[in-house]
Amino acid sequence: MERTELFSKMQQAVIDGEAEQVESLARQALEQGIEPLEAINQGLIPGITEVGRRFERKEYFLPELMMAAEAMKKGMAVLERAIAERGIKREALATIVMGTVKGDIHDIGKSIVATLLSAHGFDVVDLGVDVPVEKFLESVLAHNAQVLGMSALLPTTMPYMRRVIEALEERGLREKVKVVVGGAPVTPAYAKQIGADGYGDDAVAAVRVVRELLGIKEQAQ
Amino acid sequence: MPRRGIRGGLLKFIREDDLDQIRFAIVEVLAEVGVLMDYRPALELLADHGARVDWSTSVVKIPEHLLEKALATAPSRFTLYGKTPEYDVKVDLERVYTIGGSCALSVLDLDGNHRPATRQDLIDLTRLLEEMPNLDIMHQIVVPSDVPELGYELINFATCYSISKRNYYSQAQSAESVRDQIKMAAVFQGSEEEVKRRPTFTEVVCMVSPLKHEKQNSEVLMESARHGIPLYIEVDALCGATTPAPIAGTLVEQGANVLAGVVLAQLVNPGVPCIFSIASGIMDMANGAYSGAAPETCLIHAGTAQVAHMFGLPYQGGTGIDAKLPDAQAGYERALQVLTNILAGTNFVHLSYGMMEQMLLASYEQVLIDEEIIGAAFRIARGFEVNDYTLSVDLLARVGPLGGHFLTQKETREFYRKDRWQPTLTNRDTWDAWQAAGGKDMRQAANERARAILAEEKPWAVTPEQAAEIERIAQEGVRKAQQRR
Ligand code: B12
Repeated sequence: MERTELFSKMQQAVIDGEAEQVESLARQALEQGIEPLEAINQGLIPGITEVGRRFERKEYFLPELMMAAEAMKKGMAVLERAIAERGIKREALATIVMGTVKGDIHDIGKSIVATLLSAHGFDVVDLGVDVPVEKFLESVLAHNAQVLGMSALLPTTMPYMRRVIEALEERGLREKVKVVVGGAPVTPAYAKQIGADGYGDDAVAAVRVVRELLGIKEQAQ
Repeated sequence: MPRRGIRGGLLKFIREDDLDQIRFAIVEVLAEVGVLMDYRPALELLADHGARVDWSTSVVKIPEHLLEKALATAPSRFTLYGKTPEYDVKVDLERVYTIGGSCALSVLDLDGNHRPATRQDLIDLTRLLEEMPNLDIMHQIVVPSDVPELGYELINFATCYSISKRNYYSQAQSAESVRDQIKMAAVFQGSEEEVKRRPTFTEVVCMVSPLKHEKQNSEVLMESARHGIPLYIEVDALCGATTPAPIAGTLVEQGANVLAGVVLAQLVNPGVPCIFSIASGIMDMANGAYSGAAPETCLIHAGTAQVAHMFGLPYQGGTGIDAKLPDAQAGYERALQVLTNILAGTNFVHLSYGMMEQMLLASYEQVLIDEEIIGAAFRIARGFEVNDYTLSVDLLARVGPLGGHFLTQKETREFYRKDRWQPTLTNRDTWDAWQAAGGKDMRQAANERARAILAEEKPWAVTPEQAAEIERIAQEGVRKAQQRR
């Protein structure tokens, strides 16, 4: 297949959320000797960028967005494996550790945010729900994360986010990571009050704020 | 005389044969997909009674015979006790009651401020709710921001239980908390034995969808059941996100998830009242928001009434609305929601007073507006009678066709009082008359009325000494909870 045709097929498959198709197109790209990084940048990323745009314009809704993100992940897995095999390290935009804080089991909002971030090229380590301070810290260290995202849906668990931030300070890690927080009861004022760097009231805002904090520009098409 | 709600159930969305299919699907999911229970004692008890447990995943599969056995002991009729007999609520599969609450984070106060809820708000809103004639069950309408995080439910218990004569809908973060709550109720009821015999409060346990019972859920459920405290076994499905997008599939998930809890409760204590409960919503696919007032949400709640009743269980449904102000959106959302639920025979219409913004906000004014809407909705659900008296042929003959009216007939005077619903906030004047009376809209009228109610100090349901003792137990419980952490 012509490279440009292959790339536009990949884009379309991401837009359609066809995970298996994305996966097999990614394989095909490798078989044709296309550089994996190029396949990511010209096949997958323009696809997901378009999906994000349609979501903001309310042409696409969450199911399309989430399925496209899943499809994107499948393709990434194939291509990243190939990158690793070549002994190169792909520069992910950044690594983000995410979780819902201890005492809180509200899962779905955090998962949407995590999925969308990973679809936008971030490496996301999702720690799940009910995550204690130590686990956040360990994970930030282990993955050398640049961003820590915390979710809390209960006023009773919101203060725990401050505890995590304090623990980061105690361990001298605070300067290394940007902390973003969210969840229905969390407000920008609260985020500021507990010393977080950013706040997002939905998944699209989460991507925006993380990009801003890291100084990453919107992908040009 | 106890409270006996009006009978709902006129509205049915599911045909009988389709209902059978829902039942089969639920039974199949319970027996073949199973439910994750993150609590060893629960799994052991279920395994002892023939459920299949995968100990590596903690998933339990519940065979039909075990479900049937539980349903045979779970009562369809029972009483939820108030502090005095006039507040006893007689529960069955037809009568409809209301529950206040629940758990808002912020309030929209009478000066129009939107701010975090405080304990004073909890006191004031509970006093306001206590004066609502159509409220049957009291619940914490806000979770104050100025109380400790661990054990906050004990502070809320102490507050609402002491103010209200109604049965109190409580929640617990641990088994210990359930025991503390029994102690608090015993201060009023005389002894813990009396609390267990005629519990004046209940516990809600909220399961996770899809098909998951957290450790804390099972722990609180088992502890409450052990002491005979009635349970609202609840799932809050987010249709399309945590449960299947088709409403029928959501009913199946809810059914399997709730019934797994009912089976566990009945094994712990056969006969303990279990209320099939939901506060489900759809996920708005544009922004991910939980919508409690969407028309599809109304359908989920109405449909679930039929499902719960098919299993012989009383049913709690209802959610807050999505509006942020007591405005036109609030009015239409609440009216459709409440009316659908009442007509469907939802035995406990939950979150029916003052709850807005996807259950995050409580409005003082909306509490009164909702009382008005609920009153009107109950009136519609009461319907009208057809018999010789109401057909009024003799009366028509007496007045005749030659000009005349019914206003001076004694039947009219006799009948209208018991038949008509008399609004209190609704305005039916003409423009000029309304203007002359100040030209207030409903929100302003509600505001004035709320202020008037709150200005009048009424004695609490318990004596000041009892309230102090209850508070002491709550504070002690909070201290213990903090130490346990
Ligand atoms: C669904 C739900 C549940 C489900 C959760 C299922 C699941 N798998 O996640 C279940 C039933 C398990 C549940 C349990 C409980 N819940 Co609940 N729950 C809700 C509900 C209705 C919706 C939450 C939701 O999923 N919304 C949809 C998602 C997509 O939105 P979101 O989470 O806000 O996330 C978005 C944004 O906030 C943002 N975001 C989220 N995280 C992050 C993170 C970052 C870094 C960023 C940038 C952005 C971001 O982006 C997301 C996507 O747009 C809310 C009400 C509400 N309106 O929030 C109550 C609510 C939060 N729950 C409440 C309560 C009380 C409970 C329980 C304590 C009930 C009980 N008695 O057991 C338990 C808590 C148990 C525990 N320890 O955590 C209260 C809390 C209020 C309070 N004052 O305490 C609420 C407000 C409802 C109420 N008034 O009663 N709940």
